[in-house]
Amino acid sequence: MLFTQALLAGVTNGFVYALVGLGIAVIFKGSHVINAMQGELAVVGAATAVFAAAIWGLPLWLAVVAGALTGMAIAILVELGPIRALFARRAREESFLLLTVGLGFTFSAGVLYLFGREEHLLPPLGDEVYEVFGAIIREHALWVIGISAALILALRLFYRHTHLGLSMMAASIDPDGAATTGINVRAMRTATFALGGLLAALAGLLVAPLIGVGYQMGPLLTLKGFAAAILGGLSNPLGALVGGLVIGILEAMSIVFVSSGMKDAVALTLLIVIMIFVPDGILGRAGRKGG
Amino acid sequence: MTQSVSRRALLAVPALVLALAGTVAVVEAAEPIRIGAILSTTGPGAGAGIPQRNGLQLAVKLANEKGGIDGRQIQLIMEDDGSSPDVAVTKANNLIFSQKVQAIIGPTLTASTLAVGGVADPAKIPVMAFTGLGVPLEKTRRCVFHMLPSQDLNARALLEVATKALGAKKLGVLHDSAYGNIVMTKIREVSPDYPVEIVAVEKWEVGATDATTQAAKVKAAAPDAVAVIGNSATPFRNARQIRLTAPLLSALGTATYEYVKAMGDAADNIVFAEFLVAEDPLPGQAAFVEAFRKEYGVLPKTMEASAWDAFNAVAAGLAKLGADTQPGALCEAIRGPFEGAMARFDFSQEDLTGLTLKSYVFSKLDKGKFVRLPFKAGS
Repeated sequence: MLFTQALLAGVTNGFVYALVGLGIAVIFKGSHVINAMQGELAVVGAATAVFAAAIWGLPLWLAVVAGALTGMAIAILVELGPIRALFARRAREESFLLLTVGLGFTFSAGVLYLFGREEHLLPPLGDEVYEVFGAIIREHALWVIGISAALILALRLFYRHTHLGLSMMAASIDPDGAATTGINVRAMRTATFALGGLLAALAGLLVAPLIGVGYQMGPLLTLKGFAAAILGGLSNPLGALVGGLVIGILEAMSIVFVSSGMKDAVALTLLIVIMIFVPDGILGRAGRKGG
Repeated sequence: MTQSVSRRALLAVPALVLALAGTVAVVEAAEPIRIGAILSTTGPGAGAGIPQRNGLQLAVKLANEKGGIDGRQIQLIMEDDGSSPDVAVTKANNLIFSQKVQAIIGPTLTASTLAVGGVADPAKIPVMAFTGLGVPLEKTRRCVFHMLPSQDLNARALLEVATKALGAKKLGVLHDSAYGNIVMTKIREVSPDYPVEIVAVEKWEVGATDATTQAAKVKAAAPDAVAVIGNSATPFRNARQIRLTAPLLSALGTATYEYVKAMGDAADNIVFAEFLVAEDPLPGQAAFVEAFRKEYGVLPKTMEASAWDAFNAVAAGLAKLGADTQPGALCEAIRGPFEGAMARFDFSQEDLTGLTLKSYVFSKLDKGKFVRLPFKAGS
């Protein structure tokens, strides 16, 4: 029963990490920028929804839309402003990383200032609680799993079968070539950030009923999401799911079979071992081909 | 011509009188008493620092409204250390040597207290720290006073209420990797004194998004009560979600309305070892609770009260001093018993706090509301 509970917790957490990693993978896929503030965007999205519902009295669905749009809007502004400026100056990857890290701190301070120091909970999608072999899983966790799976499938179809998705990938893989075929490379990059920001906000909104988001949570979410994305192969959204699940389940099993004190040491060591054997990430090769 | 000259002369006289009166008034207005504060109002410590600031600002405001100390107004110079000990030291140096404050209220976090004490104690500037006495070194800093209990005392308070009030024979512990770790070490040291067996100990990292598996492991050991120690509402929710029904115990850091809100439905059947239940205050606490509610519209908890007491202890010391401004005089004036809203302190004690098990007020969360328990520890 403990094992089942741990497995369920690990899978649920895995999907949380995967959702954050999804946005990181999308932004990397479309711009080769590593977005170190993905977790903060998730927190901003959730905090905005909480704020909109509590202070402005918006109905929940509208507050959630407001949160999602806020995440998207901030990502767009970041791209139109500093990111574009860095690209124009032919900045290297380190500069982008530094920029997003710095922005992460800024947003975290902004959330503290605007929304306070509490943890914010959103109402869950359903209050049911299900028992599986003596272990408990909440209805909302099942919704998170279902919606994440749907999002990943949708992204796969988007990148493979829609004109916009294909253009976004082309603009990232070969900007000059894409430009010659009439693709507006800069607009595609903005679209990538918009999508990444939307995914970040959705991650925050889906996860807030489970874990409650606070101003300090951004970096940890980013770190776990980043690990999930890299483990799965950074360019592959499906990889983020695989990576997230591996990390979540490894963590849970480390707690059960080793000790909670050693959880991070064990889980991350195993991660390092995996990366040594598959340096491109578990689905990395597929990602290279645009999977 | 003669008339306008004399009119002007007439006007000049009162103008001159007023100008002289103004000058005299400026000369006679007393110099304000400068008190510094270093609090963590941003960063991870903000959860404690912001309520401390609220309590402190109210205390200063009311003291000034009553005429200040010996006719002198109090000027509060508030600094934020951003939860960083390096920043705290910089602020302390500025407050002591540039701003020439008479005392420092704060810091919020242990590391900052250690750092600031190293600067303030040699300069004999009293520091009223919102931390419990920690490393033995701190006992040698006779000008650094502590407003919160040591972790040893917190551990004992938890074990007292667990064994004597809840009758628990088997205790489980869920703790975080920072504050909770320190308290857990003390619990291990102290538990042989109590008729209790610690059947499960699980750790979650600070900032972790989930502690369900750890809670499940604790539940599997079938404890009579579970101590949850650390500054996050998450483990409380996780424990209740997996149907861990035993009463939960926690320390004063989590006994706030913010945590109650973050716990949601899990804010039930939780016992706290704290100091102030504003819904049902002890006689000595009622005045503070009322003043706080009137000013801010919400009820205070321990952190607000500790800051109120910190300032008032300094003010009492200043009132005792009179004209004596020898370096170190204020430290000596503060060193003694002080009846605060949070508790009765005795800064002359070896632990520079004077709190005992009897100082604690135990409360229980009953469906999101704090209820004061009649239980008294240390009896």
